[in-house]
Amino acid sequence: MDLLERYLQAVGQHLPAKSKNDTLAELRANLLAQIEAREEELGRSLTEAEVAAILEEHGRPMLVAMRYMPQQYLIGPGLFPIYWITMKKSLPLLVLAYATVQAVALIFQGGKGFDPGAAIGHLPFVLLAFWAWMTLAFAVFEFAHGRYFTEIKVSKRWNPFDMPPLAETGRRQSRARGLADLIVHVLGIGWLLAIPYKPVLLVGPGLGYLRGLPVGLTPEWHIFYWQIIALLALMLPLKAAGLYASAGKWRNGLQIAEQVLGVGILVVLVEARTYFVPTAALTMHSLGSLTALNVLLGLCFKIGLVIRVFKLLWDVWKMMTESSTPRTGCAVV
Amino acid sequence: MKETSQNDLFDSLRLELRRGCLILAVLAQLRVEHYGYTLRKALADEGLAIEESTLYPLLRRLETQGLLTSEWREEQKRNKRFYRLSAAGEVILSQLLVEWNGINESLHGILKDERAR
Repeated sequence: MDLLERYLQAVGQHLPAKSKNDTLAELRANLLAQIEAREEELGRSLTEAEVAAILEEHGRPMLVAMRYMPQQYLIGPGLFPIYWITMKKSLPLLVLAYATVQAVALIFQGGKGFDPGAAIGHLPFVLLAFWAWMTLAFAVFEFAHGRYFTEIKVSKRWNPFDMPPLAETGRRQSRARGLADLIVHVLGIGWLLAIPYKPVLLVGPGLGYLRGLPVGLTPEWHIFYWQIIALLALMLPLKAAGLYASAGKWRNGLQIAEQVLGVGILVVLVEARTYFVPTAALTMHSLGSLTALNVLLGLCFKIGLVIRVFKLLWDVWKMMTESSTPRTGCAVV
Repeated sequence: MKETSQNDLFDSLRLELRRGCLILAVLAQLRVEHYGYTLRKALADEGLAIEESTLYPLLRRLETQGLLTSEWREEQKRNKRFYRLSAAGEVILSQLLVEWNGINESLHGILKDERAR
């Protein structure tokens, strides 16, 4: 029975000291009874291989021991939905807070010593650290509640009338889409901030060719550049707030505010008028082409501005007419 | 659906279906005293085979929950742990049986068209 004792020893290694001897004694009695029943059936003693077969069928020592342990969770099924919702809700806020901190650092450093690449590259580590701390906090709470303080139970009572009104079909933006929009926006700002330091991000391999041309950005570029950055940064809190706004007037208002800022960006670009200037003496023909390029770019921005203003006016008009008519909706049952 | 994943799904659903039934069967069987091995044999004889590594920890858990009582006693020159349904276990068992019969009747009703085919 050396094999049986070795098996029990292996199981015992994974059992808690408090119940180990009792559990092993019971396991020994049951396995011996099984072995004896088999011996009775065969009319002889079992070979070592036959005992091994019984033990193999009984299961791996560690797994057998684990089954005697109480069920344990890092975050149990009762707490997990709250953990999940907290993570989902706080993630956009964290991204926003991080972007704000970086923007403040950029303003106070006046662009000197600020590395946009490092700021963006650091974000995943911030997210990972946040996830780890939140998970740890919930795990500690899971461990402690019910043990060290009264178990908190979510009440079954709730008011169905507190639910947001029915969204118009196809109108409501999903939260995932809103979050993706926010992330792309943050990345977009990061990209714009990085361009002055790494122009290759804007024109790619064509940078070498452009540097050879006797043409450059107007010296006033930094004025409209920072105005655009400021307007884009102002859009961030609106986009983040849009994630939490329920369907209806509040969400529409945020979208209108975003559109106003978008129009503001185009106004800045139209107002700039001159985008490229010669950096060396040019022929009359080249100078004419450069002027035409500036006029063409200005025209493009003006057309864009007109379209955005019309869209803005249309949405404002729709929002106003919607608010004056009673809302109806339908649901698929 | 691939055959393997379908088999896995069936195994997992079967396990889920059996889990509750096994507890009911163990409680019912322990209206008469048994120790681990004989209980397993008794259940298998009734057509309800259950792995040792599932049954023995289950007995411990049910005892911790107060549904079973146990005592160590010598039988055939060997110490064995005998389990029996506790008073609280009897109350719970009768409640569970009412629930079980209700589910059974409902399922009979739901499946009667299926059986008529």
